[in-house]
Amino acid sequence: MTFDILIVLMFLGAVTAYLVSKADLKAGAYATVLFSLGALVLLLLGRGEIGSEFTILFMGFEVTTIGWYFSGVMVLVYAMTAFFNSYWMDKMIYPGSYNFLYLFSLGGTVGLFFAKDLITLFIFWEIVVWSSTFIVPMGKSRRAAVVYYTISTIGSMATLYGIMLLHRISGTLDIQGAFAPLKNDPVLATVIFFIFIMAGLTKIGIFPFHIWLPLAHGSAPHTFSPVLSGGLVKMGAFIAYMSVGILPAYEAFKGSLTVMGIPIQIYALMILGAVSIVLGTLMAIKQDDAKKLIAYSSVANGGYILIGILLMDQLAFAGSMMHLFNHAIASAAAFLAIAVVAHRTGTTKISELGGMIHRMPLTYLTYLIAIISLAGIPPMGGFVSKWLIIQGLADQGLMFMALAAFFGSIGSFLYVFRPLAAVFLGQLAPRHEELASAPLLMKIPMTILMVLILFFGVLPGWILGIIGQIQVAAGIEPVMMSGNSILAVNGVLNTLNVFMVFGFGFLIALVIFMLMQKSRRVGLMDTYTSAEFIYTPELYHYGSAFYAPFERLYARHPSVEDFLMALAYKGHEAGLMVNALFFSHKPGVTVFWITVIVAVVTLGGVGL
Amino acid sequence: MNLMNFVYAFLLLLAAFVFQTTLTGINRKVVARLQRRRGPRFYQQFIDIFKALSKGSTTHGWVFDFGVVMALGGIMATAIFIPFGPLKAVPAMDNIFIIAYVLAVGMLGMAMSASGSGNPWASIGVSRALTNMLAYDIPFMMVVFGLIFAFDTSSLSGLAAIQREGGFLGWHVIRFPLGGIVAMISLQGMLGKKPFDSFIAPAEIASGPMVEYGGRHLGMLFLLHEFSTFIEVSLIVHLFFGGGATVAAFLVKYALIYTFLNIVSNVLPRFKIDQAVTFFYKVPLALAVVQTFLIIVVGMGVA
Repeated sequence: MTFDILIVLMFLGAVTAYLVSKADLKAGAYATVLFSLGALVLLLLGRGEIGSEFTILFMGFEVTTIGWYFSGVMVLVYAMTAFFNSYWMDKMIYPGSYNFLYLFSLGGTVGLFFAKDLITLFIFWEIVVWSSTFIVPMGKSRRAAVVYYTISTIGSMATLYGIMLLHRISGTLDIQGAFAPLKNDPVLATVIFFIFIMAGLTKIGIFPFHIWLPLAHGSAPHTFSPVLSGGLVKMGAFIAYMSVGILPAYEAFKGSLTVMGIPIQIYALMILGAVSIVLGTLMAIKQDDAKKLIAYSSVANGGYILIGILLMDQLAFAGSMMHLFNHAIASAAAFLAIAVVAHRTGTTKISELGGMIHRMPLTYLTYLIAIISLAGIPPMGGFVSKWLIIQGLADQGLMFMALAAFFGSIGSFLYVFRPLAAVFLGQLAPRHEELASAPLLMKIPMTILMVLILFFGVLPGWILGIIGQIQVAAGIEPVMMSGNSILAVNGVLNTLNVFMVFGFGFLIALVIFMLMQKSRRVGLMDTYTSAEFIYTPELYHYGSAFYAPFERLYARHPSVEDFLMALAYKGHEAGLMVNALFFSHKPGVTVFWITVIVAVVTLGGVGL
Repeated sequence: MNLMNFVYAFLLLLAAFVFQTTLTGINRKVVARLQRRRGPRFYQQFIDIFKALSKGSTTHGWVFDFGVVMALGGIMATAIFIPFGPLKAVPAMDNIFIIAYVLAVGMLGMAMSASGSGNPWASIGVSRALTNMLAYDIPFMMVVFGLIFAFDTSSLSGLAAIQREGGFLGWHVIRFPLGGIVAMISLQGMLGKKPFDSFIAPAEIASGPMVEYGGRHLGMLFLLHEFSTFIEVSLIVHLFFGGGATVAAFLVKYALIYTFLNIVSNVLPRFKIDQAVTFFYKVPLALAVVQTFLIIVVGMGVA
C-alpha cells in the first residue's frame, strides 16, 4: 500500500506545490522539501513490502529490492537538494513551474524503478526526461536543454523501438516475460541488448553521449544540478542493469566470442565505459567552471558504474551498486557546496574565487568530505566501492579496464583538488571579505550528507546487505561480509579497522602538534613573496590553468563534439536545401511540385 | 583490534622512524662522499627534526594546522599497515589497495595545508606533485594488478611469502624483470628524487609545498617525509624483493635499495613536470602493460 500512495502523493504534491507557489513562492519551495522528505519516510517505512505488487490506473508495478534501492538513492538526493530550492525562487523565471516539475520528476523516477511492464517503464522514463528538460533552461542556457533533450531522445527512441520489438517477439510487455525468448537466440539478443541499453548509455553519459552532462549540469539551475548528477544519471544505471541482469545477457551470449571470459558484446560496452573514465578525467582536469568540472567527473564515475554492472559478478557488481549510492550523495554534496558559493558570490568560475574557507567553513568541510569520497580515499564511502570494483577487475584480470580505473582514480585527485585549492583555499579577494556563511537551511542537508558519506565509509554493512539481496535476486553470488570485514576473493577490507588506525595516527599527530610551542597567527598576505611587495591578494592567488603543464600535453585532442557539430551543421544545410526546393514563394515552383506529385501518384496507381 | 594492537603499532612506528631517520642520516653522508665533502654526522637528521619541532612558528589559519595533523596522521596510519619484515601490528590489513589509498589521505592533508597558506608557490608545487603522482602511480599499479591476478592475493605479506618459497630466484624482480624495472622507476618518482623532484625545486618555486612552513609544522613534515619514505620503499621490498623472513633481512634489503636510489638520484638532472609525465607514459607504462599482458594472457613467470 505504501508505494502507490508514494507515487500518487508525489504527483499530487507537484500540483500542490504549484498552487502554493502561486500564493507564496517560498512556501511553494518549502512544500517541495516536505513532500520529498515525506517520500523518503514512506520509502523507509515500506521496506517490508518488497515483493508486493500494485496497480495505479492501468499501470502495473512491482516492488523489487533493486527498485527500492534505486528509489532510495534518488529520493535521498531529491530530499536533500530540496532544502536549497527556496533560495533560488526569486532568480527563476517560472518558480512555480520549477516546484511543480521538481516533484513531478521525483514521482516519475520512483514509478520508473517499480514498473512491472515495459510501457509503464517508458511512460515514467519520459515523464522524468520531459520534466527535467523544462527545468534545465531555467538556469543559464537554452542550448543546454536542446542538447540534453536531443541526446535523451536518441536514447529513449532506441529503447522504445526495443520495447516494441520485444513485444513482437514474445507477445508480452511484462518485464520478466518479455525478455524470456531471447535466451536461445543470440543474434536477436545482441540486437535487443544494444538497442535497449541505449537509453541507459545516454543517461549515464557514456562516451560518445557524454556531451550533454557538462552542458546540462553546468548550466542547469544551481539547485537542480545536484539532482541531475546525483540522481537522474543513475536511471541509466537501472536500464543498464535490466539489459544484463533481466535480459540474462551472459546466458544469451554464451556462444559468442569472449575476451577474458566476457562475451564480446558486453566487452565492447565495457570499453566505452573505460573510454568514459579516461575522457571524463582528462576533461575534468582542465575545466575552469566548478560545476562543469563535477559534471565531467560524473562522466568518469558513470564509466565505473557501467563497467561494474556489466560484469555481473560478486565483487565489481556490488562495488558498482554501492558506488551508485556513494557517487550520488558525494556529487550532490559537492554540487550543493558549489551552489552555496554561487549563492553568496554569484559565480562558479574557479579563477574568480579563492579563500572561501575563511568565510564559509562548513561549506568547505562538506566539499572536502565529498571529494575525499569521490576520489575514493578512505575512510569515506567512495573508497569501499572503488576498492570492490578494482578487486573485481583484478579477480577477472581485465587489465585495460583496470588501467582506465587506475587512471580515473589518481586523476580524480587532480580534478577534485582544483576547486579545493582555488575556490576554498588560497587568497581571499577583498571584494569577498564581507560574505556571510551558508544560511541555516542550507547547512542542514550539507551536514546530513557529510555524516552519511562518512558513516557508510566506516560501516558499509547495511548497504552491502541490501546489495547482497539484489545479487541473490539477480542470480549471482552475493558479496560476503564477516563482522566489519568485506571478504573479496583476493583480499579483505575491514573498514572499521581502517578508520580506527587512521584515528590512532591522527591522535598521535595531534598530540605532537599540541605538545610543541604555540604558533603565531599571521595574515594570508604575510607570506614569502620572493622579496616583491604585493598588495593585491587577487593577483597573488594560483587559480587559473591549475595544471597548465599537464593540460598542455593534450591541448589539441580530437573531440567528438566537433564531429557532432559538423554533423548538426550538415543537417541544417540539408534542411535549408529542402526549404529552398519545396517551400518557395514562387508560384511556379509550387505548381511544378504539385504536378510531379499528382503525376507520380496517378502513374503509380496505374502501375498497380 | 584491541589495546595491544595499538601499543604494538606505536612501537613499530617508533622503530620505523628511528631506522629510516638513521638511514637518511647515513645517506646524507654517502651523498657528501659522492660530492667529495665530509658530510654531517649520521645522527644529524634527528637533530634537524627535533630542532625544527622545538622552534616557534607562524600559522595561516586553522586549515594550515589541521592539514599538517591530517597529513602526518594519515601517513602514520599507512605506516602501521605496512608489515615490518614479518611483524604486523594489525592482522590482515596489509592489502595493497588499502595502503595505496590510505597513503592518499596524508598527501591530501599536506596539499590542503600547503594551499591553505595562501602562497601561490605552494599551490604550484602541489599541482606539480599531483601531476607527478598521476605519472608514476599508473605504471606501478598496473604491475601490481598483474601480481594480484597471478597470485590471487592483494596482501603485501602474502605476496612476499610466495616469493620466498623459491629462494633468491623466486623474487618477483627476477621472475618479472620488466615489472621490477617499472617498480624501481616508479619508486624514484614516489620518493620525489631526481629526475622527478620538480615539485619541490627550491631555486625555481621556492620549495613548492614547503615554502611557508617553519617550527613545529616543518618538524612534523620532516617526520612525515621519513614515514612516507618508509612506506614507499617497504612496498617495493615486499612486492619485488621477497619481503623479509626476519626483520634483519628486511632492513638490509631496504637499506640497500634506498641507498642505491639515492646514489642514482644524485647523478641525474631534473625533468620538467610535463617531461616526467611523457616519460612515464612512454617507457614504464609500456613496460608495465607488456609485463601485465605476459602475466595475464601468457602466464609467464607465474607457475
